[in-house]
Amino acid sequence: MSEIHEDYIIEIENVSKTFTGGVEAVRGFSAKIRRQEVVVIMGPSGSGKSTLLRCINGLETAESGAIVVDGIRLDGDKRRRLEIRKEVGMVFQSFNLFPHLTVLENVNLAQRRVRKKNKASATERSLELLQMVGIADKANSYPAQLSGGQQQRVAIARALALAPKVMLFDEPTSALDPEMINEVLDVMKKLARSGMTMVVVTHEMGFAREVSDWVIFMDDGQIVETGAPESIFARPQEERTRRFLNQIL
Amino acid sequence: MKTDGVSTADSFHRAKPWRFLFRSPGKDVAQFILLIVVGGWLISLSTARLGYYWQWYRLPRYLFRIEAGRLVAGDLIKGLFFTLRISGVSLALALTIGLATALLRLSDSFMGRLLTRVYLEVIRNTPLLVQVYLLYFVIGPILGLGRFASAVMALSLFEGAYMSEIFRAGIVSLHKGQWEAAYSLGLSRFDTYRDVILPQAIRRILPPLTGEVISLIKNTSLVSLVSLSDLALQARVIAADTFLTFEVWFVTAAIYLALTIPLSIVVYGMEKRFKVLT
Repeated sequence: MSEIHEDYIIEIENVSKTFTGGVEAVRGFSAKIRRQEVVVIMGPSGSGKSTLLRCINGLETAESGAIVVDGIRLDGDKRRRLEIRKEVGMVFQSFNLFPHLTVLENVNLAQRRVRKKNKASATERSLELLQMVGIADKANSYPAQLSGGQQQRVAIARALALAPKVMLFDEPTSALDPEMINEVLDVMKKLARSGMTMVVVTHEMGFAREVSDWVIFMDDGQIVETGAPESIFARPQEERTRRFLNQIL
Repeated sequence: MKTDGVSTADSFHRAKPWRFLFRSPGKDVAQFILLIVVGGWLISLSTARLGYYWQWYRLPRYLFRIEAGRLVAGDLIKGLFFTLRISGVSLALALTIGLATALLRLSDSFMGRLLTRVYLEVIRNTPLLVQVYLLYFVIGPILGLGRFASAVMALSLFEGAYMSEIFRAGIVSLHKGQWEAAYSLGLSRFDTYRDVILPQAIRRILPPLTGEVISLIKNTSLVSLVSLSDLALQARVIAADTFLTFEVWFVTAAIYLALTIPLSIVVYGMEKRFKVLT
């Protein structure tokens, strides 16, 4: 394990994850991500992108290797895992909003329970966040009354509620109708420009080109190639990257 | 020919107007009346064959009596109150045991899972009657439990086992994304259960849970076997004293129905109110 550098907010060192049943989802993955960087992870389905992302906030436990987020080392310790989850927000492909709570209650919940805020101050911040994602007028609606794009924007606001230092996005636009993809990408771009550190699993080339600092191309649980978006899309060095890019273009 | 659903149905009714009867409430009412008439006829037939002599006029005093100008509950109503009391206490305990067992079965603790598994199998695979006797004659005296306490224990352990399976089914039926979203927000396991999982699970399990609550109320009749004066025991005593066997047991059945049917209606209302939009 290398020493901790202050300017790296996420350090992933030689991480492997095998599921029960023997599927090796991630194999010896290493990467370091600086503060305020936006990293896009691409790769064919089953290449381990999502699993890697879920290892970063402890939803999956890597069985070997080390993950350090903002100086906190992720290991078996439950308290440290909770600490990391407060620093890391996550947005899912299928939104995963809480259907029995209103939009406002969805965003309030973590502030009330984790930060022990009172209702008024939680609501104040929630409304600011909902304003930011452009959906404050739906604060008292239930998730089922919203379109997919609106639900995903609420999910982003919810993930931001604890003011995390890192945001993880797991294919945030893959479950959306085409006309709703942009409203979500716009919010993500706004977030990137505000200086948020972001790790994004996506196939949206336009987004990667516009806001990402670098792109990781993954296949078979390993890094195939990394680089700046312009160079990796224009001149991929590896055959596998080229084949994949041809397919999604 | 039109293929659109509504007009096809219309032409269907026009072609065979008598079919309409099968979809009207009138048919249900007619069926119900027919059922009552046939049932009554069968009962009168069998009591006539037995030479049974109906004496309904002797019954009301076991429901209510007037003593010194005041209305006093008769033995059946006293039994009803006792049944209500033992049902209430057992229900609260059974729900607690059921939820705790479900959570333990879903926990990471090996011992917790093992113990709850053993508890479930033992309780579900032996008759309640045996459990009531065992708790009253064997375990009760060891633990110093009285008659009421050991009956409550037997009932709540029995119903708790069934309820725990209902709770568990409700919890695991939720999409795992709900857990992941809650965990990724930094919520503890306790908060996740309290704010995210259980409120959603409860709405799903209300219908089967109501079934168990009704079972529990009916099963309280077994405590009469350890001489607790619930509705069933009062009915047995009155029937033995007066030979009003049919009258007493019909009324007793009606009282149990009067307890459980409103419960079903209340829960039906709750289900509609708490319905989660999906």
